[in-house]
Amino acid sequence: MNLQAVSDISFSLEQGDIFAFLGPNGAGKTTTLRILLDIIKADSGLIEWNLNGKRGELPPAEHIGYLPEERGLYTDIPIIRSLVYLASIRGMNPAEAKTAAMDWLERLDLAGRAKEKLQALSKGNQQKIQFVASILHKPSFAILDEPFSGLDPLNQEKFIEYIREINQQGTTILLSAHQMSLVEKIAGKIFLINQGREVYNGSLSGIYDAFGKNHIIDLQFRSPVNESAFLNLPGVEQVNNPDECTVELTFSAETDLNKALSELSAIEGISNISSHKPGLHEIFLKLVKTHQ
Amino acid sequence: MKYINQVVTVTRWEFRRFFKPKNEVMGIVIMLLMSMIFFVAGRFAFSDSGEKPQLTLLQQTDSALVKRLSVDFKTEMIPEAQKPLVLGRITKEKEGILLVEEGNTFIIHAYKKTRVLKKLKTALDEHHKTRMLQVKGLSEADLSVVLSPAPVKESFIYADNSNSRIILAFFFACLMILAVFLSFAYQFTAITGEKQLKITEQIVSAISPQVWMDGKIFGITLTGLSSMLTYSVLGIIGGVLFFQFTGVPVSTISAYLHMPSILLFLPFALTGILIWNALLAAIASVITDPNNSGKSALMMLPLLFVLASFLVTRDPDSRLAVFLSWFPLTSATAMPMRWAVTEVDFWQPAGSFSLLVLTFYLLRKLAAKIFRVSILMSGKEPSWGEIFKLVRSHS
Repeated sequence: MNLQAVSDISFSLEQGDIFAFLGPNGAGKTTTLRILLDIIKADSGLIEWNLNGKRGELPPAEHIGYLPEERGLYTDIPIIRSLVYLASIRGMNPAEAKTAAMDWLERLDLAGRAKEKLQALSKGNQQKIQFVASILHKPSFAILDEPFSGLDPLNQEKFIEYIREINQQGTTILLSAHQMSLVEKIAGKIFLINQGREVYNGSLSGIYDAFGKNHIIDLQFRSPVNESAFLNLPGVEQVNNPDECTVELTFSAETDLNKALSELSAIEGISNISSHKPGLHEIFLKLVKTHQ
Repeated sequence: MKYINQVVTVTRWEFRRFFKPKNEVMGIVIMLLMSMIFFVAGRFAFSDSGEKPQLTLLQQTDSALVKRLSVDFKTEMIPEAQKPLVLGRITKEKEGILLVEEGNTFIIHAYKKTRVLKKLKTALDEHHKTRMLQVKGLSEADLSVVLSPAPVKESFIYADNSNSRIILAFFFACLMILAVFLSFAYQFTAITGEKQLKITEQIVSAISPQVWMDGKIFGITLTGLSSMLTYSVLGIIGGVLFFQFTGVPVSTISAYLHMPSILLFLPFALTGILIWNALLAAIASVITDPNNSGKSALMMLPLLFVLASFLVTRDPDSRLAVFLSWFPLTSATAMPMRWAVTEVDFWQPAGSFSLLVLTFYLLRKLAAKIFRVSILMSGKEPSWGEIFKLVRSHS
């Protein structure tokens, strides 16, 4: 079967960026990342690298870090040996790799398990080892495909710190993730892809400016409520029913909120009202739905 | 330089992954223990075979025959009247033999056909021959002269095709079989395992498929050679001990170690194993699910080529043997075998080896291309047609 996974997309990163590459499942994110790394070939198009002042094709492996979406490490070999090997094939001196690996394991509270086999670790800890394997050699450019998957909220926050830290130390980051609340904490630029095509390409602040000016009001009711009752309210663009007692109303940017609130106050049975601006999550959903 | 450094790194990794001296020693210890258990059990199992089998004879049997039979049998003499009784005993106890002579014919009564009867027939043949000599008036010395073979003296210009050389040739073939099995096991585990553990994407983003392929080929070849060396040394030590205990001088073993053949075998074996590892790596990279793939059977292909080399020893100068010693998929085994057992002009191994090296060079390139397009495939296993189409499109 012939399937066009990616078509007619264009983006660029500046050195020092944290660039988020976003899209729903099957949008073509991983295919694009594989093409960037020359793992698979594109039928047409151009990829130009200009890393550390050197312009040309894909830079040597020592300058690139990659955390693939398809995770995997040698499960039957001690963790420290796997880490040293993976850093060695990216050009790092084995002795230095061992020292750096032990430093990272120390930070991740896994130093005591360095000689254990990977299969002895929990899924979350295996994920941490995967992350270390991708950035141990201090690359100038790192592609992190789904770095937060499999992590609990506490470790997700820690990973945000790690990503910020390696970025500050000089690693440009291209990040692909589904956790929008985490992405908006660290990314400066966003590229949104859907069905293999570009939906948005620009800064994080730009996406809020362009698509985040609506007002969202959440209404909580004591008893189940029908969403159709809110469709005729002035300024309402969208009504969502996250559950039968909750309604989420999206008002257009021009709507007078005072007027809207006075209209809402006439509705009986409301137990709670809250409002917020759309986050990346809402913008993402809106853009993808519109694009489809 | 970078290519060499990366290949060396991968080679060392693959070698350390699979060559585990502790496991090797354990394997040898288990093998020795099993051999000892089989030896002791065998001795015990056949310990009762030293007892002479029971043979019943009629009282009127020729005394010379009785004397001869007493050497191999526990004889018992009975009057003819007791014949039915003995037959009844044989039927009941399911053992024992009754020999009856009627005129010039011997009649053997036994419960069933056993190996003991062969011994009895040999004794009866000897007795019959002696009796006939007496009847014809010939002495044993006269008969020996009549039956002796024609006196022939052999003089050969090439006299190196001795049994020891044939044994050496078979030893080469056995080592190659061992290498094929080890390469098959390690290469299969290495590549299908990595595919299943999803390590491949991480590796191919760091090194080229050619580097990874070459590192695997060299690393696993090195592992196979290390095992071959271990077992060769063990075989020689075992041989020395065998000669020691059997009273044969230890120096006898040197008759089997023909150094020119061994020196020729080493580069041929090394290149041959490299070729097979390249082939096996390419096949293994196509296999998505090792338990259900129809392509797994192809992994045994190199074994067929080694087994074909055994034909060399039947007639090392035949057209078939010459072809096998030049054909790159069999020459690694067949040429050293031919060299050991017959006279081969020097240019033949030189030419055959050059062809072997060229084949390895081209095969590793092709294998890396197959590896590149198939290593990241998962889900439905591609057909060979699809693979070669992809290889062509990536070239």
